[in-house]
Amino acid sequence: MPKHRNDILQGTLALLVLRTLAARGRSHGYAISEHIQRISDDQLRVEEGSLYPALHRMEQEGWVRAEWSMTEKNRQARFYTLTPAGRRQLAEEQENWNRLTDAVGRVLRYA
Amino acid sequence: MGWLNRVVNVFRPARLSRDLDRELSFHLAETIDRLIESGMSPEAAAREAARKFGHRPLVTERTRDMDVAIWLESVLADLRYALRALRASPGFTLAALLSLGLGIGANTAIYSLVDTVIFKSLPVARPDQLVKLAMGDTRNDVFTNPLWEAIRGQGGIFDGLFAFGSDRFDLAPSGQARMAEADLVSGRFFSTLGVRPALGRLLLESDDRRGCASLAVVSYGFWQSEYGGRQDVVGHRLSLNQRPFTIIGVTAPEFIGVEVGRLPQVYVPLCSEPVIHGAPGMLDARSAWWLQLIGRLPEGTTVVQATARLAAVAPGIFAATLPGNWGEAGRRDYLKNTLAAYPAATGFSDVRQRYQTALAVLMGVVAVVLLIACANVANLLLARAAAREREIAMRLAIGASRGRVVRQVLTESILLSTLGAGLGLLFARWSSGLLVGMIGNAETPVSLNLSLDWRVLGFTLLVAVSTGILFGVAPAWRSITVRPHGALKSGGASTTSTRASLAGGRILVVTQVALALALVATAGLLLGTFRTLTTIDPGFRPDGVLLAQLDFGSLDLPQPERQVVGRELLEQLRSTPGVLAASGAVLTPVSGRHWNGFVEVAGYQPTGETDNLVWFNGVTDGYFSTLGTAVLAGRDFTDADDARAPRVAIVNRALARKFFGGANPVGRRFQMRGGDDHATPVEVVGLVADAMYRSLRDTLAPTVYVPWTQAEHFGALTYEVRSQGSTSDAVNGILRAAKAVLPNASFEIRSLSGQLAASLARERLLATLSGFFAGLALLLALIGLYGTMAYNVTRRRKEIGIRVALGATRLRLLRLVTGQAGRLVLAGLVLGGAATVAATRLVQSFLFGRTPLDPFTLIMATTLVAAVALVAGAIPAIRAVRQDPQAVLREE
Repeated sequence: MPKHRNDILQGTLALLVLRTLAARGRSHGYAISEHIQRISDDQLRVEEGSLYPALHRMEQEGWVRAEWSMTEKNRQARFYTLTPAGRRQLAEEQENWNRLTDAVGRVLRYA
Repeated sequence: MGWLNRVVNVFRPARLSRDLDRELSFHLAETIDRLIESGMSPEAAAREAARKFGHRPLVTERTRDMDVAIWLESVLADLRYALRALRASPGFTLAALLSLGLGIGANTAIYSLVDTVIFKSLPVARPDQLVKLAMGDTRNDVFTNPLWEAIRGQGGIFDGLFAFGSDRFDLAPSGQARMAEADLVSGRFFSTLGVRPALGRLLLESDDRRGCASLAVVSYGFWQSEYGGRQDVVGHRLSLNQRPFTIIGVTAPEFIGVEVGRLPQVYVPLCSEPVIHGAPGMLDARSAWWLQLIGRLPEGTTVVQATARLAAVAPGIFAATLPGNWGEAGRRDYLKNTLAAYPAATGFSDVRQRYQTALAVLMGVVAVVLLIACANVANLLLARAAAREREIAMRLAIGASRGRVVRQVLTESILLSTLGAGLGLLFARWSSGLLVGMIGNAETPVSLNLSLDWRVLGFTLLVAVSTGILFGVAPAWRSITVRPHGALKSGGASTTSTRASLAGGRILVVTQVALALALVATAGLLLGTFRTLTTIDPGFRPDGVLLAQLDFGSLDLPQPERQVVGRELLEQLRSTPGVLAASGAVLTPVSGRHWNGFVEVAGYQPTGETDNLVWFNGVTDGYFSTLGTAVLAGRDFTDADDARAPRVAIVNRALARKFFGGANPVGRRFQMRGGDDHATPVEVVGLVADAMYRSLRDTLAPTVYVPWTQAEHFGALTYEVRSQGSTSDAVNGILRAAKAVLPNASFEIRSLSGQLAASLARERLLATLSGFFAGLALLLALIGLYGTMAYNVTRRRKEIGIRVALGATRLRLLRLVTGQAGRLVLAGLVLGGAATVAATRLVQSFLFGRTPLDPFTLIMATTLVAAVALVAGAIPAIRAVRQDPQAVLREE
């Protein structure tokens, strides 16, 4: 079975997507992946094979809302918006992430 | 709104999948645009975008799997696919379904019996609060009425307490008896259990007073069958043991009494016992043990607390009810008794006591049968999986995830086992009635409600799913170890995984042979036991002997007159045409009733407290000649041996051997002492051959026969009538003779051979069912072995063809091919031998005349299994070497 290449730490994709939507507002999948890649100076690359399943799951969880709409280039695209539940989720995941990096940092410094 | 989305999505999987497709197309298009902007040609951009995107169907599938609806949809697809696959190979499906149906059905049927007899609580209010009372030990749970009255007098321990005695009443006013199961119950019986009347009212505390009116409550079933559910049944007269009783009510339909397996049809108050049995009755008898006690614990009281309170009052209760006529040792023991409470949510059950272990054995047997069936299905599935290797490899190669493939294979197994379970339920429904019939008999019918409830259905479902997983694991495991590359390249007859599947198949065959051997050996022992018991010489000739029991209790005859009437009826019977011989006895062999007492022989030193406890019976003259028991020395009883004559006895050979050193005991004297009796000196006037007394399994025990007229007390006399001609003529002859002497009496008539057969009901059940299931197991193992061998031989067709072409003799080839089967069977037999040692030990307590490792049985079982296995293995082998090598080689 081929190993699925995952450049983004497991479990952080949702956080990144939520943060992106919070920052950019309404966006489609392609824009989300572009945004993450750009902001991270190409350090983080979101694979399509992970992004769409994740978006789909987030929609099922009620964190994002999706609708079909036209892009500037007149293409049909599916646009995602953060819901209030998504905002709460974002705050929670951000908190978790900060705790985690803080803890890892301590270990690396003092252990 | 997540859940709502999911629910909505269930109904529009197509739209969802279209959406996803559009979304991914958009993404691709944007990527291509960006690449063109950065200077690529449109073609190169399209290629690069597709490469970057990865495996599109995989992305689709993974996204879709995020969705419950899609998951459901794929399950449906799996189901459709599995159904199609099963339909495509009807032979395989039929074989698998039949083995599973029989296996699961047998398990369900036996389990429903086990559940009803052993586990299920009584269908009354809060059964968990019910406790039964016993004297120290849980088995010691029968009380006398004086004890019950003393315990009842101790208030405050229970939230309701009652006593009941099981009995059988005669419904017929005269002639041939018609017995009904009945309970004599104390006043708070129904209120403590929380039973409601379906009609009229139930018995109350005020109905249970000494000298009470003759009132009766009947069961719902009795009301329906005897009175057709007539509304005006309350107030009707009912004849019980020839006494009139008035029906006051009917119990609710769901009430089945407190004894599982015994459904009382009539309930009368305890105080009517002297009416039922004739004065003086047992109400004041301090040595008549016939009542069982059940109490309801008050809310918050534990069994331990109740036991402590009972133990505190016990000494006073036993002191107040001490039987006056007991000996010193007996009184001491009596006063040592204590009282305790035991949980009684499942009520009492004679059937449970008799059948608990037997049912456990049967449960084990059917579980093994199911295992063998599972092994068969696993084997069939494995062979199929080998054939489908290419298909699975192809699916993996085009991007199906392995989880998806495993799920699909497991779906097929679980579909099979579920269909098998459906078939099994039908089989169980049909067979459970048969099972209950095998436990009961005409004399003591067993009433068990084996309707399919949620417990049984739950059990079946559990069995179905676990068997599905059990036999699905091997093929599923196989499917994920498929290497698409190798499987596709090698063109089907592939390498590693096929070898693995063959190894799996071999392990399954060895297991099947081993399990089948253990079952066959166990069944052989049980069948042998039953055969021995049915062919054993009981010491009398039961064929052609009818037993007619006369209950004196209902006749209002004082003891001396009973003897006159009894004698008169005996003479009448002897002069009836067709009657060859007739006699009377207090007890008949293997009737379930016994009478024991002590003998004291000068010069014999008892080795223990019960060493000189022997069986007793009271008989008329002609008893031995009627039954066909040889009188070896001395004389039979005569009319002169009556109550005024000197006490005499006839003893059997076992007694003579034990107490008189084997010498002829005629003319010797000994003392006999019963429970309440003082020692009575008697003279031995005769010696008879040994005969079975209590059970066919008993060793021939020392027995004393006394003239029935000298027996201290008897409530019933059973006539033994040996006649020629048909049974119905004989019955009519007996009834005519009885009517001439006692027009108002009723007789319970049965055959002596029937009584013997009834005493072997448990042995028959075990022997029949274990024999049947062992045969089934053998058949399944045969199919399994045949299948594996046939598959193997087919695989080696080419090789065999080449060998034949190169000049190998057929015999040599046969040895080559069967050698493998032989090794498998041998391994199975060795393993089975070990399993047999373990299995047969479990049935040890049921065996008679055989040790668990009876060499004859083991050799026969091994030979049988080996023979069947070799036949199964040899048929495909012979077919293989008979084939024309040219034809095989030309196939390429």
